[in-house]
Amino acid sequence: MIKQFLSLEWKQFFRASYFQKGLVVKIFLILGALYFGGIALLLGGGMFFLIKKEIPEVDPVILINNYIIYWFLFEILIRYFMQQLPVMNVKPLMVIPIKRNTVIHYLLGKTTLSFFNFLSLFVFLPFSVVLLAKGYPVLNVVCWFFSIILITLSINFLNFLINKSNTVFYIAATLLLALIGLEYFEIFKASEPIGLAFNTLYSQPYLALIPLLSLMFLYNLNFKFIKNGFYLDDAVTKKIKSVEATDLSWFDRFGAIAPFLKNDIKLIWRNARPKQALMMSFVFLFYGLIFYTQDTYREMPAMLAFASMFITGGFLMTFGQLVPSWDSEYYKMLMSQNIPYRQYLESKWYLMVVAVGISFILSIPYLYFGWKIFGMIAAGALFNIGLNSFITLFGGALNRMPVELNTKAKAFGNTNGFNPTQLLIGLPKFLLPMGLFYIPYKLVNFETGIIVLGLSGVLGVVFKNFFLRKIENVYQKGKYKTIAAFGEKK
Amino acid sequence: MIITSNLSKAYNGVQVLNIESLDIPKGQSFGLVGNNGAGKTTYFSLLLDLIQPTTGYIKNNDILVHESEDWKPFTSAFIDESFLIGYLTAEEYFYFIGELRGQNKSDVDSLISQFEDFFHGEILNQKKYLRDLSKGNQKKAGIVAALIGNPEVIILDEPFANLDPTTQIRLKGIIKDLAETKGVTVLISSHDLLHVTDVCERIVVLEKGEVVKDLKTSTATLKELEAHFTGTPIV
Repeated sequence: MIKQFLSLEWKQFFRASYFQKGLVVKIFLILGALYFGGIALLLGGGMFFLIKKEIPEVDPVILINNYIIYWFLFEILIRYFMQQLPVMNVKPLMVIPIKRNTVIHYLLGKTTLSFFNFLSLFVFLPFSVVLLAKGYPVLNVVCWFFSIILITLSINFLNFLINKSNTVFYIAATLLLALIGLEYFEIFKASEPIGLAFNTLYSQPYLALIPLLSLMFLYNLNFKFIKNGFYLDDAVTKKIKSVEATDLSWFDRFGAIAPFLKNDIKLIWRNARPKQALMMSFVFLFYGLIFYTQDTYREMPAMLAFASMFITGGFLMTFGQLVPSWDSEYYKMLMSQNIPYRQYLESKWYLMVVAVGISFILSIPYLYFGWKIFGMIAAGALFNIGLNSFITLFGGALNRMPVELNTKAKAFGNTNGFNPTQLLIGLPKFLLPMGLFYIPYKLVNFETGIIVLGLSGVLGVVFKNFFLRKIENVYQKGKYKTIAAFGEKK
Repeated sequence: MIITSNLSKAYNGVQVLNIESLDIPKGQSFGLVGNNGAGKTTYFSLLLDLIQPTTGYIKNNDILVHESEDWKPFTSAFIDESFLIGYLTAEEYFYFIGELRGQNKSDVDSLISQFEDFFHGEILNQKKYLRDLSKGNQKKAGIVAALIGNPEVIILDEPFANLDPTTQIRLKGIIKDLAETKGVTVLISSHDLLHVTDVCERIVVLEKGEVVKDLKTSTATLKELEAHFTGTPIV
């Protein structure tokens, strides 16, 4: 039985659509996997020596143990947004005479092979090897390493529970926020007892039983959860959500494009994938914190221009780059309806403009870094509205990847961004704001740079009709190709 | 109303459709039958300009379908589930289509109120998204959406498949009514010979992309079709 399951897995992997893409994409994927794997290995192997060098007075193991909770928190967070639940593949197995328990075990077992579990392995295996080589007690290190892996797997299963049930999610989120709050205001440092706990885990090898038990507990909970649904698809395939209807008649004031705007808002609100894009765009807001806080970047204003554009451009990029693809599931219908492309594109443009506007308002706290920085953000926002939006829409015309709306993007299954043309289209998005700022900055001064960057956006808005017409032509030309590509089974 | 001339479609040199000439007058209820791969859906896709003809053309009300978009306001279709927007409720979808076709909310409401018995209480006020409805109910919603905005040409690809018997009978009534009393040109395809002969004034049999029979429906038509598909040698 297991043999057949494995052969199914094998075929699924190698016949998956992302594996059958062009050679270029494959090379990119392999390079990407090597890159991240390599970084993890390097981090794991080098961590010991790095800590030893920087903070010689503390034992690296103790330091790692003190802060390892943040690693796990980060893991939970990233898993919540990125990890796909095991869906669908069990359906064909359900009518075949296999014991339900076997199928559930197989399903749960399969998730242990997720990329996220290997991430931990790749970091902590080399670290443990280094520890052993440095003469740390074998039993302690080995048990500690297994504990870490067991905890990782526990998180793996915890994530499914969090994802599947809103109650678990809210409990976990509240707990987490409370702990972070207490920590931040120095009322109660939860990280200290947790650090202590991990150190005890290391010094008392037999305590590795605890993560083992927690893993077994969570595994069983998942098992029961799925089994209690009795029929797999109750728990494993999508559940039917009741409708959240909102009155959007306010948008009718936008005239001809109103139906599309209303539709797009429902699209974002009711589907997993666009929601994920929306969440990601919030992350972009914090981009500035990386660049503005470091003196090295302060000396490189071109990089600052780039970061400033990013802050308000999150939604524009995560949502905008997949513009016709969002409608891929019903593109045929749109094409046979009485819809001018122009209105369709215009409504997407307005959506992006509104998103840039909201991001800009949310970026007001960056005033803390001074008016110069804030002026840059404002200029970046104008650039996003006036030029970046059109570049993104233009790029969308060349992107013919169908999108499954209600499935989260896989961490490594999503090759939408790996399209070579897409990459080329992406370049001006980054290089233009840098150039538009840097050249006048070098020739005249900082303020002129900001003004030129902002003016470029204003000019874009002035020539909006011209740009939209050009983009419309590109969409019109590619119509049949796009319909055919969107019609293909994913 | 619809003039097809020298139309052919080939994929990588393999011809899937080749219709020398086919005229469908206004107000006719037109049925297309044929086995899988006969070219029914291909023909409908060409009619909707979803694929490009290799040679020839289709004229819909004197408008060249693959050159102008002016046929869109008076033509509507339901080909498959990809014509539905999965994350909308049935009502939202109807209003969306209505807005695209220049109908306000009350126009749409009065139209769909005529189909309450067709919906059988399973479409409206369900608090469910279209993607969560059963195949049959999705089809009901799609068919009714194709009637919004007083189209003059309606194209339905296998409208009877997946529908329950009651709904099939009601749908037959609706299609007949459209063609006979409202003068709408209705094009349907079906694998159910009984249904097409019931509904359509004219039936065309496609085989490997070519028209092999063009019948005006009479009492003998069903027998003739059955004989054709049982494999009695074709002359």
